[in-house]
Amino acid sequence: MILGLETSCDETAAALVTDDGHVRSNIVSSQAALHARYGGVVPEIASRRHLELVLPVVKEALQDADAALDDVSRIAVTQGPGLVGALLIGLAAGKAIAWAGRRPLIPVDHLHGHVASLYLEPAPLEPPFCCLLASGGHTLLLDVRTHDGFAVLGTTIDDAAGEAFDKGARLLGLGYPGGAELDRLARQGDPEAYRFPVARTSGLDFSFSGVKTALLYTVRSLHQTELAERKADLAASYERAIVTALVRRLLAATEQVGAERMAVVGGVAANSELRRSLPSARIAPLALCTDNAAMIASAARYREAIPYPGYLALDAYASRDAA
Amino acid sequence: MLTLAFDTATTVATCALVRDGDVLGERTTSAARVLEAAHDLLAESGLASEAISRLVVGTGPGSFTGIRIGLATARALAFVLQTPTAGITTLAALAAGSPGALPVIDARRGEVFTLLAGAPVCVKPGEVVVEKRMVCVGDGAVRYRAVLEADGVVVPPDASGAHVPHARWHAQLAETFGPAEDLQPLYLRVPDVDVPRGKTL
Repeated sequence: MILGLETSCDETAAALVTDDGHVRSNIVSSQAALHARYGGVVPEIASRRHLELVLPVVKEALQDADAALDDVSRIAVTQGPGLVGALLIGLAAGKAIAWAGRRPLIPVDHLHGHVASLYLEPAPLEPPFCCLLASGGHTLLLDVRTHDGFAVLGTTIDDAAGEAFDKGARLLGLGYPGGAELDRLARQGDPEAYRFPVARTSGLDFSFSGVKTALLYTVRSLHQTELAERKADLAASYERAIVTALVRRLLAATEQVGAERMAVVGGVAANSELRRSLPSARIAPLALCTDNAAMIASAARYREAIPYPGYLALDAYASRDAA
Repeated sequence: MLTLAFDTATTVATCALVRDGDVLGERTTSAARVLEAAHDLLAESGLASEAISRLVVGTGPGSFTGIRIGLATARALAFVLQTPTAGITTLAALAAGSPGALPVIDARRGEVFTLLAGAPVCVKPGEVVVEKRMVCVGDGAVRYRAVLEADGVVVPPDASGAHVPHARWHAQLAETFGPAEDLQPLYLRVPDVDVPRGKTL
């Protein structure tokens, strides 16, 4: 079995996945509530919490799978991209667990992890496919030809899609992180009530700063009572604009690379409007949409393990450019 | 009794292997590579991780990330090796290496970590309570040499080994061993929440 560890942002996670892709346990300790009052992830607070949680989630993952350390053949850990201070805690713990037990270590790219959430049982998706990875930190279109990687076709030039949802939710007074709450409210509203702009970026890139600003100005133009009455319509229309941008480009990308299948992964894959708009796309199971360690262990199945003790000098990386 | 001790809280990290009070080896390293140093020290003695009977880790103060790398490493090692663990503050270890000296660690942002009446504190360099001819050691003492020397303090040359912690002292100072998860990081400063990610609209 593979023990996966993930600490790249504000989720401390550990999971046990079998070599053939069955999830035996998947423990995610979210810090969202801790960061809510700041309206965003505070790196130092996240890192302090990761240190408190990293061993407890490992123990819980083992317990939940009714397994012992002896059942673990290798350790998989997120190396980047993400908050470096946060990543280093998972990496330090992963290295120490691997080294102390003379086991191999597999450093995993967080984005590859998201894609690899699709490779898990009971219904693994086989490449090739075109994949939209949309979360609070990333918005990417990926050409996936093999299990062990992908080519980036497009990305956001400003905010990530999940970030746009969270910021929109805050403008509507829905708290943080409010993406899911905005989605709920949107179901009661008219998505055609307001016409928010869908950015015309070049190629397959995204931009969400315009739609966010448009929502800001609309909210400001409304009186308090009017705003309360139109909140659901605003949420629905805002969501429609973001989802339209995501869907349009995923379809364009799929056509461009001649892929026969589409998939959606990352936290935004939980969005109901997006799911409705892409009936033919494969969408990651809800439990594997947000950051988790099962997807990291899954990705590790397709990467070469670094034998003991060759991984002791590994460092984390903040962005893929620095990898 | 084989003790592995390490401290990754300061820019220069340290790792030592001690058997029944005898220092088998000691290395300076960086926080991210502390296990590499531990592996090499064990290998030089023909040993591996299973031989470790207890751990001693530096709990800071120093770099927050460095402190966490040390504690995450110690907790994970203790979990796998089932070893009791002790925590020693980086200030205590620095002081043990230079008897009579006051440890002063760079805390960035114009502040230092030091001892005030024996208790760890975070203060401005000019607020370090010193006596004339007192010796100050640590990367904070090096950085604020001019301020301290103006108060009549003696700071050893920059290249002196007295300015970096040596894990042999952590091993020697450790008396109380227990579960690694009980060891708490010594941050001495609340998190900076001025600019959370995603704050700007």
